[in-house]
Amino acid sequence: MAKKQLVHIKVNGRDREAMVEPRLLLVHFIREVLELTGTHVGCDTTHCGACTVVLDGKTVKSCTLFAVQADGSELLTVEGLMKDGKLHPLQEGFKEEHGLQCGFCTPGMLMSSYALLQKNNKPNEEDIRWGISGNLCRCTGYQNIVKAVQYAAGKMAQGGTR
Amino acid sequence: MALRIEKTLKVNEPIEKVWAFLSDPRKVATCVPGAKITEQIDEKTYKGSISVKVGPIVTDYKGEIQIVRLDAANHEIELLGKGQDVRGRGSAAMNMTGKLRSDDRMTEMTSVSEVNVVGILAQMGARVITEVSNIMFGEFTKNFQAKLQHEDEAPSSGEGKPISATSLAWEAGKRLFHRDS
Amino acid sequence: MIAKTSAEVGGMGHSLKRKEDLRFIRGKGNYVDDVNLPNMVYGHLVRSPYAHARLKSINIEKAKALPGVLAVITGEDLAKANLAWMPTLFFDKQMVLATGKVLFQSQEVAFVVAEDRYTAADAAELVDVEYEELPVLVDPHKSLDPSSPILRDDREQKSNHIFHWEVGDKQATDKAFQGADVKARVDAVFQRCHPAPLETCGCVADHNPATGRLTIYLTSQAPHAHRTLFALVGGIPENNIRVISPDIGGGFGNKVPIYPGYVCAVVASLTLGRPVKWIESRSENLQSTGFARDYHMTAELAASKDGKIQALRVKTLADHGAFNAAAQPTKFPAGLFSVCTGAYDYPSAFCEVDGVYTNKAPGGIAYRCSFRVTEAAYLIERAVDVLAQELKIDPADLRRKNFIAPSKFPYKSALGWTYDSGNYEPAMKLALDKVGYAELRKEQEEKRQKGELMGIGISSFVEIVGAGPSHTFDIAGIKMFDSCEIRIHPTGKGICRMGTKSQGQGHETTYAQIVAQELGIPAADITVEEGDTDTAPYGLGTYASRSTPVSGAATAMAARKIREKAKKIAAHLLECSEADLEWEPGKFFVKGTPSKTKTIQEIAFAAYTNHPQGMEAGLEAVDYYDPPNLTFPFGTYVCVVDIDKGTGEVKVRRFVAVDDCGNIINPMIVDGQVHGGLTEGLGIAFMQLIDYDENGNVQGGSFMDYLLPTAVETPHWETDKTCTPSPHHPFGAKGVGESPNVGSPAAFVNAVVDALSHLGVKHIDMPITPWKVWTILKEKGVVS
Repeated sequence: MAKKQLVHIKVNGRDREAMVEPRLLLVHFIREVLELTGTHVGCDTTHCGACTVVLDGKTVKSCTLFAVQADGSELLTVEGLMKDGKLHPLQEGFKEEHGLQCGFCTPGMLMSSYALLQKNNKPNEEDIRWGISGNLCRCTGYQNIVKAVQYAAGKMAQGGTR
Repeated sequence: MALRIEKTLKVNEPIEKVWAFLSDPRKVATCVPGAKITEQIDEKTYKGSISVKVGPIVTDYKGEIQIVRLDAANHEIELLGKGQDVRGRGSAAMNMTGKLRSDDRMTEMTSVSEVNVVGILAQMGARVITEVSNIMFGEFTKNFQAKLQHEDEAPSSGEGKPISATSLAWEAGKRLFHRDS
Repeated sequence: MIAKTSAEVGGMGHSLKRKEDLRFIRGKGNYVDDVNLPNMVYGHLVRSPYAHARLKSINIEKAKALPGVLAVITGEDLAKANLAWMPTLFFDKQMVLATGKVLFQSQEVAFVVAEDRYTAADAAELVDVEYEELPVLVDPHKSLDPSSPILRDDREQKSNHIFHWEVGDKQATDKAFQGADVKARVDAVFQRCHPAPLETCGCVADHNPATGRLTIYLTSQAPHAHRTLFALVGGIPENNIRVISPDIGGGFGNKVPIYPGYVCAVVASLTLGRPVKWIESRSENLQSTGFARDYHMTAELAASKDGKIQALRVKTLADHGAFNAAAQPTKFPAGLFSVCTGAYDYPSAFCEVDGVYTNKAPGGIAYRCSFRVTEAAYLIERAVDVLAQELKIDPADLRRKNFIAPSKFPYKSALGWTYDSGNYEPAMKLALDKVGYAELRKEQEEKRQKGELMGIGISSFVEIVGAGPSHTFDIAGIKMFDSCEIRIHPTGKGICRMGTKSQGQGHETTYAQIVAQELGIPAADITVEEGDTDTAPYGLGTYASRSTPVSGAATAMAARKIREKAKKIAAHLLECSEADLEWEPGKFFVKGTPSKTKTIQEIAFAAYTNHPQGMEAGLEAVDYYDPPNLTFPFGTYVCVVDIDKGTGEVKVRRFVAVDDCGNIINPMIVDGQVHGGLTEGLGIAFMQLIDYDENGNVQGGSFMDYLLPTAVETPHWETDKTCTPSPHHPFGAKGVGESPNVGSPAAFVNAVVDALSHLGVKHIDMPITPWKVWTILKEKGVVS
């Protein structure tokens, strides 16, 4: 077993540090060391996207990164979407448009959609479908997720971007 | 999973020299990445092992190699290798026929192998196993040519250097996506 | 007619936003892998790489020696406690950890427990198992060949034949075939696929030596049944077992069986006195847990030359893998497959099914299909299209001609089911009108002239759900009633608990809406809880679309019991007799004097502060509902496809789904269910297959090969409804969760075959990959 290393990661705005094995996956770091269990593991071949988080502004699949690779970076997980007790427009959108059923893919979907809207604040349906194509869902058939993202885009256009 | 792999390689050596090398499994083993002959049981049978690493999957097959047929006149050899993974990850069997042909100074070796893989590796499917065997054959060819050139030098240790896991997986991955073969 | 409540109350018919969403959108769901208990350790299974092999030796010394490893359990260890084998849900037994031999690739061989999951995985690699390979059997058609290996040494009868089941009138059917003008036949394979919910299976088994209680956090669709089975099989007193199904990330039938990993975790926890967590990986999930389908079917239809169906004959070979771990009612080895008579009216049918063993993962569970109804609906809808092709009659016309007339309900089918209600024609008409059927046929004709390929597929399915009446239905001996317990608090809010368990179906909202409908208490004021066997009343769980038909009914009945008591209290408060009172959702009032009224909230308060003398205080009720019959949702789906002649790729241009599930609780949730089920059907029809090579190596063992539709492949689904209530259900509902997975595969396949029928194509087996289509196009000389 390799020697543990110290990692410093800014998580949802807070500085966090821990000693970790080099082989510790980022997703396990998030779920077990940071105890943020919103990010989920849904597969073992980096296909499903349930583990999607935003690292230094880009979406990454946290099951395919080591925690040590995120040393010195800024990490945003689903738990970081709410601000001052208010839901992010995307979270509102998922609720208003019935964009979730079992909820397991939802955090990953939210993070991918978040990154999509940062890049493209007026996405059409095709843009959205491509934007979430790295996130698998078994329950919703994606249709209402598309509507949820459209809702959020609309809200953010009115009330200023977040 | 049964696969048929046909390969041809050319060496710049006379046919008898190549044949002498090819008909000695201990010498051939030195060219196969990760392979080792550990014991000779009788004139036809050897014990050996081969280590194959594909990404996270390590298999160390231990088994037997048998010379099924040795036809010096026609320069044909048939080998049968069978092994089980020491960690219980599966098994592999290979039946290989190698034929030599020469035209003046060049000798051409054609090999036809029927490989049967059972276990975790086989789940990856033919596409990965084929890519891996392509890479291994590439290394084999390089080593084969090099060893033949230096045949007149010191005797071999009977061990082939295993390919690094990263390079094997990386190569396989690249080929899968670029399909340059 | 169901009285509509106000939006504020949110009873039936309101598309209330879901109450459970708040925690999920914040990442605060509580799935089994989120459960972290003090002192918890991790389990990891060692699995066989061989499909059929003798277990020669297992060496655990190196594994045990690894720092952090607490235990390594083998089959031999379990055998000492009589736990190496466990009963399946269908009269068979299954190895928990292998002894003697292994029977499928990925079978469980040893269980390692360590302080953290990485160490457990390391240790699993260090377990040295020696195998002696045996000949492998993967073709179910060869299972009964004398030359094939006998897989199950443990069975008395040395054969790979599991069961033969038949139903119907063979003589009358054969006679009808002999005399028929036209006969059509289709050989259709419903391929082995897998429900693959996004959350894999797992548990945290927590035996507390201080209290003697065993708590199991479990990905379970049927927590009570699992508790009873753990008690019976493990010899643990049932009152000392608590099963908690917290949030479940999708089930689709995959979380109905009991898996070896659960048993190993329980044993480990009992041994170590610490919580043991076992969560399988996706590969383990696809390779060893309950697969679905693998039905090799032949259907023949006998008809008159004007298209009137006379008889149906079906013969099916069912591949159950190494153990028959099918989860279905005990009297039905082929589930409810005999609903394969479909939406059509004819006098004779005969159906036989033979189940066999192969060296593949065990099971045959219902994947969003109410026990083999997907296979049945697929078969009849394919057969009807083949008949239409044979007779050169439009497939919509042929269906219309043969639909069971509304006047015939309740309808007794030729294979013995009594369909509760149905009105198939209007549903089909709505779907055809919505898709523009006549124009599409014209377009198809024009395109054919130009050599372009487009197809229209229809599926008019009948579902059979809501298992089931106790006279016929039980799983592992437990009758298939379900339950609801409601308690109203003094301030007029309430809590209700059911024996079902949502895995995303929105029960926290829909059950509250039922109570809102029956009692007029706003749905927002009703808390719904499921899944904790210590507190919820006994039920058989959620699968086979049974929650609304059975537990939903129990909820209504319990609410009505409360209303009865409320009436007495109201009469007491209003100083009148009960006969003088009228009810409208939320209040009782005196007939003719609407100002003399008591709200349900006032009544609730009185139940604790001013109840009539001689009456028990409180306001609660329990109902265990034994449904008098199953329910029969139905619908028509129409699919329009365009085929790329260069690549063989099939693009779904449009999909119209008209569902009839009777009275609807929450239309938004119903539509969500339809979208999801259609997407699963899309995957099954075009992408999914768990296959095995001749050595038993699984070829669909990870998401690299087992494909799930993404947002890009998934088309926009158009949904609509007709409403034919169930006459026997307390509020006329039928259930809908599985209909889209039941009805859609045939719609997709019928569309593709329809696109190629002018080239002589009669049938293509799923999954219809571009390669398959391209090969056909090449054969027919039309590749561009």
